Amino acid sequence: MNEGEDIIICRCEEVSRNTIEDAIEQGCDTLDSIKRRTRAGMGLCQGRTCQRLIAGLLRNKTGKPLEELKPPNFRPPFRPISLGLLAQEGYRLRREDELRDGGK
Amino acid sequence: MGLRIKYHPILGEDLRKDMISIEVDGRAIPAYEGEPIAAALIASDIKTLRKTKRIGEPRSLFCARGVCTDCVMTVNGTPNIRTCITPVEKDMKIEKQEGLGNWGEEPK
Repeated sequence: MNEGEDIIICRCEEVSRNTIEDAIEQGCDTLDSIKRRTRAGMGLCQGRTCQRLIAGLLRNKTGKPLEELKPPNFRPPFRPISLGLLAQEGYRLRREDELRDGGK
Repeated sequence: MGLRIKYHPILGEDLRKDMISIEVDGRAIPAYEGEPIAAALIASDIKTLRKTKRIGEPRSLFCARGVCTDCVMTVNGTPNIRTCITPVEKDMKIEKQEGLGNWGEEPK
C-alpha cells in the first residue's frame, strides 16, 4: 500500500480507513462509538472481519492497549435471517427444542 | 474448467464424475451437486459475485469459510446467501447481487 492511500476497512459497510481515523480524531475512543459514528461493523458480517483492524487503528491513534478495548455490543440475530422466519408459527418452540436437544 | 484441481498431492485425483447444470444470470454452467456454489462459479471463470451497495465495487470470494459475507448472491430468489458455504442443488438459479439485493415478492 502506498503512503496516504485510503483503503476499505469494513468491507460490508464500505467504511475506509480515513473515515475511521477521522472519527477517532473527532473523539471516538471506543470500538462502540466508532461503530455508531461510521457504521463500521454494522453490516452483514457484523464486524467479524473489521473489528480487529479497527481495534488496531484505535490503538495506534490513541495508544490504548488492545486488551483494554471493550468489544462493541453484539445483539442477536448473529447472522441475517428473514423476518418471515421469525414470524413463523412454532419458530420459538422449535428453537427451544433444538437448544434442549443440544442443537441436534 | 481451468481452475479446478484435477490432482491434489494429498487427496489424489478428483473422482467426481456426474455434473449437473445450474443457472447463473440466465446462463447454464456445470457444477457438482453438493460443492459450494462459489466453487462452481470460480471454476467457470465467474469471479464477480456481487456489487457493493455504496460504491458499486465488484466483490468475490474473500474468506471462503462463511464469515465475511463478501460472496453473497441471490439464490433461488433469496438474496444474501453465502455462496462459499451453500451447496449446489439441482435446478438452482443464481443471480449476481447488487447491493443488499431484492427480496422481490413475498415468499409463499
